[in-house]
Amino acid sequence: MRQSILAFLILPAITLQTACIREEALNAECDIVAVQISQDILSRSPIISNNEVTIIVKDGIDLDGLAPVFTLTPGATISPESGTPRDFNTPQQYTVTSEDKEWSKTYTVDIQHTNAVVLNYDFDHVRQVPTQSGEGSYDVFYKVGADGTVSLTWASANQAFALTNSEGTPDTFPTYQFDDGKTGKCVALTTRSTGAFGLMVKKPIAAGNLFLGEFDMTSALAQPLKATHFGIPFMSEPVSLTGSYRYTPGPEYCKLGDDGKLTPVPGKIDEFNIYAVFFEVTPEMQWLDGTNVMAEDNPNIIAVAEIPNPVPAEEWEDFMIPFTYREGKTIDPDKLKAGHYSITIVMSSSKDGDFFSGAVGSTLYVDDLHLNCK
Amino acid sequence: MDLKHIKAAIIMALAFFGSASAADNAANSFFAKPLWDFEAIAGFNIGGAAPIPLPKEIRKIESYNPNLNLQLGVTVTRWFTEEKKWGIQVGAHLQTKGMDTKASVKNYGMEIIQDGKKLSGRWTGKVQTHYHSQQLAIPIQGVYSFNDRFSVNLGPYLAYAFRNNFDGYVTEGYLREGDPTGDKISFDADSRATYDFGNELRKFHWGLQGGVTWTAFKHFNVHANLMWGANGIFYDSFKTVTFTLYPIYLNIGFGYRF
Repeated sequence: MRQSILAFLILPAITLQTACIREEALNAECDIVAVQISQDILSRSPIISNNEVTIIVKDGIDLDGLAPVFTLTPGATISPESGTPRDFNTPQQYTVTSEDKEWSKTYTVDIQHTNAVVLNYDFDHVRQVPTQSGEGSYDVFYKVGADGTVSLTWASANQAFALTNSEGTPDTFPTYQFDDGKTGKCVALTTRSTGAFGLMVKKPIAAGNLFLGEFDMTSALAQPLKATHFGIPFMSEPVSLTGSYRYTPGPEYCKLGDDGKLTPVPGKIDEFNIYAVFFEVTPEMQWLDGTNVMAEDNPNIIAVAEIPNPVPAEEWEDFMIPFTYREGKTIDPDKLKAGHYSITIVMSSSKDGDFFSGAVGSTLYVDDLHLNCK
Repeated sequence: MDLKHIKAAIIMALAFFGSASAADNAANSFFAKPLWDFEAIAGFNIGGAAPIPLPKEIRKIESYNPNLNLQLGVTVTRWFTEEKKWGIQVGAHLQTKGMDTKASVKNYGMEIIQDGKKLSGRWTGKVQTHYHSQQLAIPIQGVYSFNDRFSVNLGPYLAYAFRNNFDGYVTEGYLREGDPTGDKISFDADSRATYDFGNELRKFHWGLQGGVTWTAFKHFNVHANLMWGANGIFYDSFKTVTFTLYPIYLNIGFGYRF
């Protein structure tokens, strides 16, 4: 009897809730989700971030009059309209407005030629990017080319760390500029604790990292190994990677357990890593990521240069790492010319940082990197 | 705001009593035994903290568990005449109100706070919510009795929550940090972000209550009351949940009349 009374009471409550689902609101998001541009001029697939689109086209393509077509969040509109021819010798801006007209976002669309290759990296230039709250900021490293424009931007996971450090100054992030470089300034990478937020998502530490490629914020928490898109177009044959480093391991190496917590590993000393990978870009593999960047069975990898002896060093230590070609792999000159190869350089203050293990406090300084080519 | 309402309610109650005693026209007859009923009650509340109407952000209620919310208390009735037609009833009820829900939402205001650090934005995906509040409720009800079996009651109630929880987690979806134009951060089925809005819950509540009483046996009553909160469960200053959640509960109680 009492049960039937209960059922009688609960049923209307549920009906009340489910019956009243209202018509869906218009979309509030205003994203560019895809870009189309005539296929035969593309050297690789366009890179789309939250407010930038980078399109890399084959050399010799006239950047004036290109008319990219954008796919947007359903219902959103773009101005100037999709398919409008514009002069992309300088980056062009577009404004996307959401379906509900409440929100809009400005994208910078940059179309570059493949051969904008940089070989020297001095880490003298950073710009500060504010966190979402606007109360903190972090460093983004870039390189100025011969013509004075930004020719290369390094990627890091600072943007994800900003989730837990929204009020931090640049030097409280894992990747930041340090004043005392070997020459001028240098990059400093420090393994940090991610605090309560990081613990919540089972990512208790963040190794300082810097790499050539793109960081995909959307995947940062769900699939962190896939968030690092390694590689930029490269049209030379690499021989070796040279540079200088200093390294101090943190006091206590900890391993991430299945429960998402850190357990100290007595006696284990943290190690840093510096490596470069030269690889072929195929439609299936436009970039490498944390799951396959060094994989022995990755057929796209042509040559790898990894620091052989990553020992701590209080003073600047120079290194020269030769590229070792994978067995049976050679560079096809035609593909090289057509921009079918990419290269990445990856640096990390904790070698196992991609698996969220390492010693908080481990700090790696790197300066004057140079890619030597044939 | 709350205090003002409470004051108004107390003055109202006193006015009722005052006029009742004036009608009796003798101070000592106010306490005359035949005019008073004492009742111990036990019951349970079923309902939830529901936005009315359901906001557009909520796309689907995946699950809803009203929980077993118990109630214990005493009710005192002072009838105006010995016929026990009209009376006024004041109670002191210890009760819990709660619910567990899982919903699919789109563009839902969300704030994840851990150790004083805050991550806020718009969430699209699943939201699990646990609401549990322990309260002392004082219903002040006018009673009309149709016969010796059946009566109805209506009036305001005041409640003080001495223990409040409102927490849960979000999963399988994405956060747009800050607002819909912010960075998009995905969470898969294995990753959860917890939130806790317990400190934002209102302590004083008031609302309207109305119900029926059926006297099943000489000393045994069955009550059914609807309690409809006039305040949202959160403080007005709390903006993260962009719509007002009203506590709406149906109470089924059993009373022993002394």
